[in-house]
Amino acid sequence: MEILRAEKVSYSYRTKYQKVDAVREVSCAFETGTMYAIVGKSGSGKTTLLSLFAGLDVPDTGNIYVQGQSMRELDRDAYRLRQASVVYQSFHLFPLLNALENVMLPMEFQWIPKKEARKRARAILQRVGLTERIYRQFPNMMSGGEQQRVAIARAVAAGGEIILADEPTGNLDSENEEKIVLLLQSLARQDGYTVIVITHNPRVEEAADHVFRMKDGTLTYVR
Amino acid sequence: MTVRNSIRQLWRMKGHTALFLILLCISSGMFSVGMGFWIINDRNLQRYEDSFMTIGTVQQSATAVQEIEKWDAETKSYHLSTQNIYDSYVPESVLDFEGANYLSGPEKRVSYTAYNPDFKPYEGISMEIVVEVSPVEDALPDHPVKLKITRVLSGQGVLEGSIIHFCDHDNPTPAMLYADQTYVMSLIDTQGHESEKQFPEDQVREYRPAPLLGASQYTPDGSRMKDSIDETYFCDEVTEGFYETPRGKRWLNYTQTLTYWESVFPVVATDNIRLIVPFYQGETYVSAGREFSEEEYRSGAKVCLIPELFAAANDLAPGDLLRLPLITANYRQSAGQIFYTNAIRPYSLLNVKGEIYQPFEDSEYEIIGIYGGSTGLGSEYGMGFNEVLIPANSIKASDADNIIDYGPMTDSTTSFQIENGAIQDYMEKWEKQGVRNVEITFFDRGYTKLSAGMENMNTIARILAVIGAVMVLLVLGYFNWLFILRQSTRTAVERSLGLTRKQCFLSLFSGIFLLLFPASLAGCSAGACLSAHLSAEIGETVYYDTTFGNSAPAETEQETAMQEETFYPLQAAAITMTTVLLAGSLLAVIGITCNLSKEPMEMLGRSTGRAAHLPRQA
Repeated sequence: MEILRAEKVSYSYRTKYQKVDAVREVSCAFETGTMYAIVGKSGSGKTTLLSLFAGLDVPDTGNIYVQGQSMRELDRDAYRLRQASVVYQSFHLFPLLNALENVMLPMEFQWIPKKEARKRARAILQRVGLTERIYRQFPNMMSGGEQQRVAIARAVAAGGEIILADEPTGNLDSENEEKIVLLLQSLARQDGYTVIVITHNPRVEEAADHVFRMKDGTLTYVR
Repeated sequence: MTVRNSIRQLWRMKGHTALFLILLCISSGMFSVGMGFWIINDRNLQRYEDSFMTIGTVQQSATAVQEIEKWDAETKSYHLSTQNIYDSYVPESVLDFEGANYLSGPEKRVSYTAYNPDFKPYEGISMEIVVEVSPVEDALPDHPVKLKITRVLSGQGVLEGSIIHFCDHDNPTPAMLYADQTYVMSLIDTQGHESEKQFPEDQVREYRPAPLLGASQYTPDGSRMKDSIDETYFCDEVTEGFYETPRGKRWLNYTQTLTYWESVFPVVATDNIRLIVPFYQGETYVSAGREFSEEEYRSGAKVCLIPELFAAANDLAPGDLLRLPLITANYRQSAGQIFYTNAIRPYSLLNVKGEIYQPFEDSEYEIIGIYGGSTGLGSEYGMGFNEVLIPANSIKASDADNIIDYGPMTDSTTSFQIENGAIQDYMEKWEKQGVRNVEITFFDRGYTKLSAGMENMNTIARILAVIGAVMVLLVLGYFNWLFILRQSTRTAVERSLGLTRKQCFLSLFSGIFLLLFPASLAGCSAGACLSAHLSAEIGETVYYDTTFGNSAPAETEQETAMQEETFYPLQAAAITMTTVLLAGSLLAVIGITCNLSKEPMEMLGRSTGRAAHLPRQA
């Protein structure tokens, strides 16, 4: 089922010296239960495209539809709160909150009762393969792989259908990289999430159901 | 929810949070103390301004000092005394120069005398008598000679028929007195010659001349008017029909003036009673009723202040009316210099025509106040006995025909008021006038010294306040950077998690405000307590000084001062706390706005490698 679609989306921004056409007439569609990889060189516009998919920016031209509704008409804050979550290369967990609290946070933002949020957070952390040992640990006490799994758990905890991941394995060793790839894959295939991953990593490319290549702001379907 | 999250994160940064609380508490406390001290000092300076007063007294220097020989019949030798000589009198107008900026005056106060037979200002018995006498034998009164009183025209009637001793004590060439003749004499009772007594019981009273038959009258320009009778004249031979002659009539008038003196009292007109030194010094003050109002001075209202003794002797109280027929005007001496006892007849009440001075102004004045305290009777600047005070403008009529003396400006008659602290400026301008024979003496009750000290304290208070303010800004700046600017990633993550800009703003601002408020409250409260303590210490000095300056401060004034001491530190605390909260909030708003202006993906998409290992969010 199609959940996210881009139609001739273009976006440019101005640096100190020049105007950069980061995204040029990109059209694509994403379905639920599928893992997508967007590959490309640095500066090709991948992250900008992800920002547009996350509703953090609005296209200059073209349109992005979420379940058929134009992003321009959506409450984009609510969209990020309830439908789409972002996972970053640098994890960006709240360092002063422990693993459980980090995962509970999006639920707290949605006013889900604390008890319920805690219960759900525990289940999600279990789902991403983390043991109870790290629930009370703060990010600086965890390994990179654990932090990224907590970050993915936080994305899942928001309760949306779309997970947008920006180089999620960029800061990980090969062992953790594999675990994260498999986790993202299973979230798509088993749990029905739409997982869109920006990556340089061939392993992620390999694990994805579909691959797009981004070059000079244009997106090409690879497979 | 965002607020709770913010608090939870702050709680996890106990070290930073505590440091912020402590530093902000200290700096805002210092700011509060400085501000409080500043406000209190300003207020105290204002109190000084209100309580203290700077007056200048003016004295013309004598051109020369003349030695005067005075014969002493007892020692048969001359005694020397001195007298100031003035080429001319410097007019009061020299004090009116550009930049003088007087608050009152300058005024050269005139001492008037009022004659009102309804009042009995004097309780003393006159030592002066006017009598007809016949020498017991022909005698030259260069020593005490015996005279028989044949008639008492004025004075103690019991003396009629008695023998008295008389000596023309101050006259080196007294006239011969003949036994077969009758003389009318103006005499005063004094101590006898010491050399005449062999035993204590031999002490006899001696009468000497009381030469007040001659007139003392001046023109308004200060020239003495010539009288046909010499001012030392005290005696005339009485022949048949003598009292029908002009000279005889003068004697009768003179006799009448001696009864006048029983109901004569000084009246001084002024534009400000505090230009009169005893009032200025606070030794004399209004003890019942009130002082003159500005309007009464300005309009010349018929109101007066009377001394306590005068009020008691005549059963007078505020609200009563007092008729003041003014018969003489003295432009030389103050009332205190003339009426320094209750039994003196300092000058003749006869004009050059030999007639009794008639009132040039006769009005009823309402008594609005009674003054008391130490009137300095007999001292250089003292008040006169039974001196009545009236507004200068209340005298409308001319006293040109009633001037009994005229002289230069003196410290006890001429004064003015200038602004506190303006002495130096005044003197610089005065020196430029080039008036060399006029000396000005200032009285400021130590204001110049005290205000200099207060100004120094004010400077310290300002420095303290500025340092406190700078410290507050530095602390706020540092923690704004730590808690907000360094939290840009947190803002970006919150945004990416779906929080609105408003919620992100609230998330950061609530945390900062929750620290700002208690820290500034605690610091400013502590500062207020310290300010109150310091002001109480200073307040004691201020009370002392204002008591010194005002002589009789009302209890309500002290209560007001006490309330002010509590009020001003609180006011300072409120001002500083509001300032700290506003500054902190403003910096927070700027910082948060700066955070929110950054693109979340641009920030979060960067691979810093730090996030995993370093705690950098609150």
